[in-house]
Amino acid sequence: MAELSLQHIDKIYDNNVQAVFDFNLHVNDGELIVLVGPSGCGKSTTLRMVAGLEDISKGKLLLDGKDITAAPAKDRDMAMVFQNYALYGHMTVYENMAFSLTLRNENPNVIHKKVLAAAEILGLTSQLNKKPAQLSGGQRQRVAMGRSIVRNPKVFLFDEPLSNLDAKLRGATRREILLLHKRLQATMLYVTHDQTEALTLADRIVCMSMGHVQQVGTPLELYDTPNNIFVASFIGLPPMNFFDVVFEDGVLKGKGFEAALTPEQQDILSNYVHKQIVLGVRPEDIAEGGSLPVLVTANENLGMNTLVHGYIGDRSGNRISAKLRGWAEHKNGDRTTMRFTRMHFFDKDTTNAIRKEAK
Amino acid sequence: MTQAIEDRDIQLDRMQYVKNTGSSRLCYLGILLNVLYFVSIYKSDVGSWYYQILVGGSIVYNLLFMLMVFLASEGVKNYQTNYSTLLIALGAGQLARIFILPLQAHSAVVKVSGAEVAVMQDFQFIRVVIYLAASAACLIAAAVINLQKSRALAAHLAAKSAGQA
Repeated sequence: MAELSLQHIDKIYDNNVQAVFDFNLHVNDGELIVLVGPSGCGKSTTLRMVAGLEDISKGKLLLDGKDITAAPAKDRDMAMVFQNYALYGHMTVYENMAFSLTLRNENPNVIHKKVLAAAEILGLTSQLNKKPAQLSGGQRQRVAMGRSIVRNPKVFLFDEPLSNLDAKLRGATRREILLLHKRLQATMLYVTHDQTEALTLADRIVCMSMGHVQQVGTPLELYDTPNNIFVASFIGLPPMNFFDVVFEDGVLKGKGFEAALTPEQQDILSNYVHKQIVLGVRPEDIAEGGSLPVLVTANENLGMNTLVHGYIGDRSGNRISAKLRGWAEHKNGDRTTMRFTRMHFFDKDTTNAIRKEAK
Repeated sequence: MTQAIEDRDIQLDRMQYVKNTGSSRLCYLGILLNVLYFVSIYKSDVGSWYYQILVGGSIVYNLLFMLMVFLASEGVKNYQTNYSTLLIALGAGQLARIFILPLQAHSAVVKVSGAEVAVMQDFQFIRVVIYLAASAACLIAAAVINLQKSRALAAHLAAKSAGQA
């Protein structure tokens, strides 16, 4: 049982640079929360504050209702897995995994049982006598995870654990982390800048930018109903297309195109008549055919999908990227037509999403 | 009783992953005691008694001894039984050495300025004998512990693989 609560947490460094602003989050028992955002957004700083490796400038950190804001890292009962593994090169896998328990003077037989159980979970049983240098990156990261598992901590903290791995290994290790979470049912906080990791692993995602939380929600919520332009552009690959448009006469008028709206969409934009707004369209919400003229500049076949890049109208128009189903054979300079199957609207000034107000 | 058997089983299982540091540390102690021995014995030179081929051989043997014991310490760390044989031989060698250079030096007398002086006094003789005997004891103990542990581990692994089969 481990519930973590971060209440109004700020991080202000000695040089008065503020890295985290009013961070609020309640992590339920057994939940896997992913902190995602670009480099320098404060996600690792937040994790380090939770671990006790950084002081909390303001706010409260509660673990199972107990205030641990000022508690030293060793007393927090949390285990952290680092990006660079932090393994002891002169020790075997077994010794690395047993090390923290040996330091605590635990019974060697108990340590042995715990290490073997963790090795079994992580598929490291046959590697226990090897040194870290003899292991692949993925195996080393699993050893680092094993070192955390043997401690049986209340909360697991992961700081970009897959960043040092190549793409194939990253995918495999990501699935292992997911299985591990399902098996241990432990509370986990996971930091990454990779949205694929965030979307595939998280029970809930915390999207951060410039030290501020932009949105907290399930992966589907962040993808489907982003709170603002930042979240909409950060989540989704390729990123969402944005166009400056004006809402007039029931249609959206942009540079070189017009998009018809349903009555429901018109209702959502009822307060924005004759005003400029930002139209967001995900590349996967664009289909071929329709009234949108597109000048193709690049065609990337990915097998199942094709990424088509180009301009709306001509080269002076807005850039557009579409993810079309199937194999397409467009060439640079080809002209085609497309249509939007789904649209998102954002306020031009606040960058917040425009949604139907609850009545 | 069942708990004790289970604990013993886990201890044996642990040996697959934990090195035999006990034996290897005894080897290092054996080397240290040998260093104390040769530092003590060469200090006792009186006149030119030590300027002989036996001492030259002793110096070379000391170097070889340290090298071999260090090698054996790494071997016993990994429960390799053949290094136990080497350690027992080296331990016996340490005991035999008591009767070569130290005993000869203890019974030898040289003339210094017309006066007869014992090359090695009783106290010093006892000290080097203790160093050599202790060094031998360490090596033999390391060998015996390694033999016991490696046999127990081998039996455990055999039983385990038979059980799995």
